[in-house]
Amino acid sequence: PPPPPSAMAGDHYHQQARYPLDAGSYRLLCKIGSGVSAVVYKAACVPLGSAVVAIKAIDLERSRANLDEVWREAKAMALLSHRNVLRAHCSFTVGSHLWVVMPFMAAGSLHSILSHGFPDGLPEQCIAVVLRDTLRALCYLHEQGRIHRDIKAGNILVDSDGSVKLADFGVSASIYETAPSTSSAFSGPINHAPPPSGAALSSSCFNDMAGTPYWMAPEVIHSHVGYGIKADIWSFGITALELAHGRPPLSHLPPSKSMLMRITSRVRLEVDASSSSSEGSSSAARKKKKFSKAFKDMVSSCLCQEPAKRPSAEKLLRHPFFKGCRSRDYDYLVRNVLDAVPTVEERCRDSTQLCGCARGARCVSPCRHASGGNVVAAKNRRISGWNFNEESFELDPTDKPPEQQQQPCFPFHHDNDDDDDDDDMVEHEQERQDGKDGLSDVAVPHLVTILGSLEMQRDMVMQVLEGDGGGGGETAGREEMLVGYVRELEKRVQELSTEVEEEMARNAHLQELLHEGACENHTDSSHTSGSR
Amino acid sequence: MKGLFKSKPRTPADVVRQTRELLIFLDLHSGSRGGDAKREEKMAELSKNIRELKSILYGNGESEPVTEACVQLTQEFFRENTLRLLIICLPKLNLETRKDATQVVANLQRQQVSSKIVASEYLEANKDLLDTLISGYENMDIALHYGSMLRECIRHQSIARYVLESDHMKKFFDYIQLPNFDIASDASATFKELLTRHKATVAEFLSKNYDWFFSEFNTRLLSSTNYITKRQAIKLLGDMLLDRSNSAVMMRYVSSKDNLMILMNLLRDSSKNIQIEAFHVFKLFAANKNKPTEVVNILVTNRSKLLRFFAGFKIDKEDEQFEADKEQVIKEISAL
Repeated sequence: PPPPPSAMAGDHYHQQARYPLDAGSYRLLCKIGSGVSAVVYKAACVPLGSAVVAIKAIDLERSRANLDEVWREAKAMALLSHRNVLRAHCSFTVGSHLWVVMPFMAAGSLHSILSHGFPDGLPEQCIAVVLRDTLRALCYLHEQGRIHRDIKAGNILVDSDGSVKLADFGVSASIYETAPSTSSAFSGPINHAPPPSGAALSSSCFNDMAGTPYWMAPEVIHSHVGYGIKADIWSFGITALELAHGRPPLSHLPPSKSMLMRITSRVRLEVDASSSSSEGSSSAARKKKKFSKAFKDMVSSCLCQEPAKRPSAEKLLRHPFFKGCRSRDYDYLVRNVLDAVPTVEERCRDSTQLCGCARGARCVSPCRHASGGNVVAAKNRRISGWNFNEESFELDPTDKPPEQQQQPCFPFHHDNDDDDDDDDMVEHEQERQDGKDGLSDVAVPHLVTILGSLEMQRDMVMQVLEGDGGGGGETAGREEMLVGYVRELEKRVQELSTEVEEEMARNAHLQELLHEGACENHTDSSHTSGSR
Repeated sequence: MKGLFKSKPRTPADVVRQTRELLIFLDLHSGSRGGDAKREEKMAELSKNIRELKSILYGNGESEPVTEACVQLTQEFFRENTLRLLIICLPKLNLETRKDATQVVANLQRQQVSSKIVASEYLEANKDLLDTLISGYENMDIALHYGSMLRECIRHQSIARYVLESDHMKKFFDYIQLPNFDIASDASATFKELLTRHKATVAEFLSKNYDWFFSEFNTRLLSSTNYITKRQAIKLLGDMLLDRSNSAVMMRYVSSKDNLMILMNLLRDSSKNIQIEAFHVFKLFAANKNKPTEVVNILVTNRSKLLRFFAGFKIDKEDEQFEADKEQVIKEISAL
């Protein structure tokens, strides 16, 4: 069998050029991206024959992360070595900025490629090659016991030859590393998600919120359960949809709502109507995208509600969808996608907003300011709830479809009723309102339950703390750890109560609007109730 | 012929023994460079063995670690000098194997055999290994690996004490300021661990070494021109002084006008984060019930400036504790 990627990984480690550790050795050429607290430059490393690099300059004063987090990211990046994983050449401080010197990825992130030329998604064969490389990176990371926790198109970088590197380990976590505050001794199993019941908080369970809302797996949102490597697989599935449609599912909702949806509802994927029912019929004129069965099957396996049922990255790599990849697909990607979008330099020049899409720089909300994307985005913003017609094959939260609950692992839903498009506005409107009512009914009690359970947990920890008088060094360590947990829990309780309050206010507001809306006609109500 | 007999599954002790033999081979044949096919082969075998040690200790995708296997492994590992060999040979291993080895060493520090931490006893008898690990900060290629191992070793109170009392403590003031961010931060993390983890040991170290330690700390770290150095140092100072076990050291620190001057300068730092951390130490000077005259004099001389400063001193998010502390400090200074 061919050696695993990691077997070869160390080889170029030793013969790597030494990048200088001072700002003077680099000439900044132009800005290629920016986020809240970081700017990314294209730069030349003068002593190394003006080799082109990317420099991410992180403003440590403005960064919300504390220095330990920044350090852990830098360390993670320095110790990873795989052709599909972005690795820093070096990092050093310049005043209150941290400069991270990285390989320059000439085509920028997939998110930026989507928004600057493919607002409706990429061709399937391109999706296959870039996702295959992304999976290879995930295999490597997972084998290392590392969870990425923020897989999305914005973190997948493409070079001019179509090769791909996974970036941004800002939130990644290693299950071999105990968190700084929880310095007590224990070692966890590599990939149990969820962790075995009854076990104390093992190091493979990360209880802090991480990641970007739209790509987050349900169990990450349910973070008190803890989650593992399979959360990355969920995000990977969402990323596949993002590449197929140009944006992640549910992204027309505000992030907090999109999260609620995932907690409270089962999700199903709307299958392209034409592919399911109207084969041979005359509906070819409809501008619907067709996705191969292999693709849909691959995505639905990633989006299983139950983490254990999602395939591992390694298994996913053997999925038929990736079997068809040929090396010429890279050429296709270069010619038809990379050559069709402006260069990263141009993208940054004509962008009016700050956006981190050109590089790994954190981009909190998906930004769409490409000419094509604007229309879609603007239209979405006015719409309340979610839209059934605009795109096929999309995450569609539903509250109580009985057959759904029987097979929660089959999110592709073949539904002939959704076949019609524009003529049945009324019916869809009805469904939309049903959904809204359902949400208000389900969301708040659910949040209250979570809140209750958290409060109980906190009390339990407090009891343990009080019961333990504690003297020696070891006890002090445990105590410290427990205090850490208590603080975490308190913070979460606080956040959740705020969220409950907000949600209740929002529900009240929606109810009011609904009431008003009942007097007007349906189309109007859908527009007014959307804006918050 | 070999193939006719199914090889017995290796016990954890077998894996350790084989690892040790391979390490000895590697250690002896260190001179030969690449191209040596036999050496390459041994190297690959070694990598496999170390990976296996890791999966016994941590479990793998299918199974959780088995206590009995871990005990066997640990006993065999420390029966002879496997740890020493592994540390010495680490620079010769490839990156992935280095990482595995680091995780193995880290895990072994917590393994118990008949409720004794074997690793701790081994290290106490082999303290020179700590010297080797610390010197790793001078070699960019292995600094992060040795650094991680070192932090695991100083979980043992006796080992932390050894490092604290050694001359190495002085070297940390250099390591912390290395230009390479990863390595400097790693050294900082170790330094912080040494000075905060074992409360009683730290208190004893600080009172015994008060003069040189805080003089270095003030001049080299708190007065550094490097932003990160300053920010980490002021945070650490706060952590140390606010710990109840260090109250004697704290009283001594806040009775010095030189220290006060440094802290007041940090309050005016251009970095908000540094200002806030400095405030958490400055408040101790103000709250001190037995302020020496020289401290009072400085505070009185700068009273109006300080009050003006605190009037505009806010942090972004609401923090009741911070506001209460600020009120208290203002009251104290006004009353002088």
